[in-house]
Amino acid sequence: MAKRIRVLLAKLGLDSHTIGVTVIAKALRDAGMEVIYSGLKQTPEMVVRTAIQEDVDVVGLSSLSAAHMSHFSRVLELLRAEGASDKLVLGGGVIPERDAEKLRAMGVAAVFTMGATTTEIIEFIERWWTQREAQ
Amino acid sequence: MSQPPRDRDDLRAHQERWERETRGPHVAAHGERLAEFRTQAMRWPVKPLYTPQDLDETGFDYLRDAGFPGEYPFTRGTSPDGYRTELWRMLQVTGFGTGEDWARRGRYMLEQGLNGLIIEYDLPTTNGLDSDHPLAAGEVCRAGTAIDTLADMEAALDLPFEKLQHLTSVCNGPQPVNLAMILAALEKRGVDPDSFTLQMPNAILIEYTCVGRYIYPPAHGLRVATDVIEYVIRNHPRWVPIAVVSAQLYAARANPVQELAFGFSIAMQYLDAVLARGFAIDEVAPYFSFITGVDMDFFEAVAKLRAYRKIWAKLMRDRYGATKPESLRLRLMASPGTMSLTLQQPLNNIARLGIQMLACALGGGAQTMTSPLHDEAHALPSEEAIAVGAAVQNIVAHETGVADVVDPLGGSYYLEVMTRKIEDAVFAEIEKIDTQGGALRAIETGYFQRALAQEQYDRHRDLESGRRKLVGVNQGAVSGEKRSIELFELDADAERRQIERLQRVRAERDGSAVTRALARVREAAAGTENLVPPILEAVKAYATHGEICEALRDVFGSHHPDSLTTGI
Repeated sequence: MAKRIRVLLAKLGLDSHTIGVTVIAKALRDAGMEVIYSGLKQTPEMVVRTAIQEDVDVVGLSSLSAAHMSHFSRVLELLRAEGASDKLVLGGGVIPERDAEKLRAMGVAAVFTMGATTTEIIEFIERWWTQREAQ
Repeated sequence: MSQPPRDRDDLRAHQERWERETRGPHVAAHGERLAEFRTQAMRWPVKPLYTPQDLDETGFDYLRDAGFPGEYPFTRGTSPDGYRTELWRMLQVTGFGTGEDWARRGRYMLEQGLNGLIIEYDLPTTNGLDSDHPLAAGEVCRAGTAIDTLADMEAALDLPFEKLQHLTSVCNGPQPVNLAMILAALEKRGVDPDSFTLQMPNAILIEYTCVGRYIYPPAHGLRVATDVIEYVIRNHPRWVPIAVVSAQLYAARANPVQELAFGFSIAMQYLDAVLARGFAIDEVAPYFSFITGVDMDFFEAVAKLRAYRKIWAKLMRDRYGATKPESLRLRLMASPGTMSLTLQQPLNNIARLGIQMLACALGGGAQTMTSPLHDEAHALPSEEAIAVGAAVQNIVAHETGVADVVDPLGGSYYLEVMTRKIEDAVFAEIEKIDTQGGALRAIETGYFQRALAQEQYDRHRDLESGRRKLVGVNQGAVSGEKRSIELFELDADAERRQIERLQRVRAERDGSAVTRALARVREAAAGTENLVPPILEAVKAYATHGEICEALRDVFGSHHPDSLTTGI
């Protein structure tokens, strides 16, 4: 049996909007992935520590407050410092397009905002996984 | 039963004939739009037509189930004359920036003819942190107003109190600290605290189920909330120290049955805690108020409001033995729900607000209504949106005539059946929560959280599959839509100014007085005395909001939910 994709979904800072992250957690599980949820009020340091300890393949960062730029870029920086930048980092939430552009340039593979479907997100992760396995 | 059986037999025969001769052939020839029709929220099957037969099947009895307005069980309204005596009070939620920024916006809203305000605080404040805490960076003054010290609250309450009848202050986790800040600021400004009504949701138990702005473990959260209720009942009997904000459950996608059952179970948990402090039910029940949200599921929404009043009256009378009319009469604030507002085609939200406001008015019995604003899905509301929000309320109130008849939809076969169905399902769910040991246990075991998570997922799948429609999103969506409506620009400098003032206050105050006051807070927390008086002393000594919450955290610990209790 093929290895299951392991995903960490994380909420950073004080933002406590959890509906999006809940829906995605359940949808990814239904799609056969293993999902670990960080809980609320996480710092970038805590998220990166969990990502490494749990040996996840994908890190999904959720933000519905305005702190996404500083938090997401710090997560990327810490992953690089830990030699773990092979993980797929995704962003989601209320993120204006101009910020999404900057985040992609920094190394967030994709940013999913309001209107994105769970199918789109699942397909994105599966495509990345297939390509990585092929290498 | 109000009619003799012979008429009912006649009706049944007529309805069977109608089905056979009229509707049956029509449907056979033309089909129907959908393979099955279901209600939006509960997904209950919907018949093509409701008649008195359906009332009979649910066992509807007019006097027992509907009755008269202003009388038990209050299904048709808590006021004997509906909105004919006075319209609902109109409020709008606001909160951003520093205390001064909020006061400026508050004055503007009062000048627009609103007579009540709701103040929301930023995330550091509601999580019990000061503005210069590391987790607060980027959040200060953003989702609400920042209050670090008494100096901030004094600035926020620079309002024309002669125009203000009602202030709601939403600071659930640190509510005793927030209450103390308000009391001390009113004293400094020379305002009579009883010249207006202060409502504090003080709704910490709901924060553990969905909103997440908790600080201490749930049992300590309950104690802190109970201290606020007790203090207010004993010292400011005109104020409202507890609101069960079932609107937050609704915003977390609870269906109407979950919203009411979870909300009432939570209310009963607070009530039991207050009763344990030596009050009688009729002394405390009148202080309980509720805040609900109204969605686009029009008939379920109207039925929910009617069932809300009826269930409260029954619980108070039958379960608690309350007898005073004020105990049995539900105090309810209703608000169109921000969760049905869409980012796409944002002007459509004005139509949604109008329909929801109409449902609020038809559901009756809401003493207060707030209108969210059509650009809320985007950002903080603009001043234009505030004016439109107020206009929507006025259009419903003055142009439609719905406020001139009490419970004008009452007697609709469909609505009465729906009201009974919701009521029965809520009582069944309350019983299920009771057998688990009540709301506090249901929070500690994650029962509420898991139920909400499942409903969130189901609701999302309904939208993705198109079973539930949202215009501009999965119906009539425009691809590559440009988004341009007037948005309120947040002052990027507010965070810096807020932190500067906090640090100035810290530098100028008497440090040893603060240390002593905080030690008193810790001592009170470790015992059983009411926390409000020692916290009030600490506030007056200019201890910060974060320091006082930290002192309580030293004694109570912090809440860290695990995978079971997050529901995910």
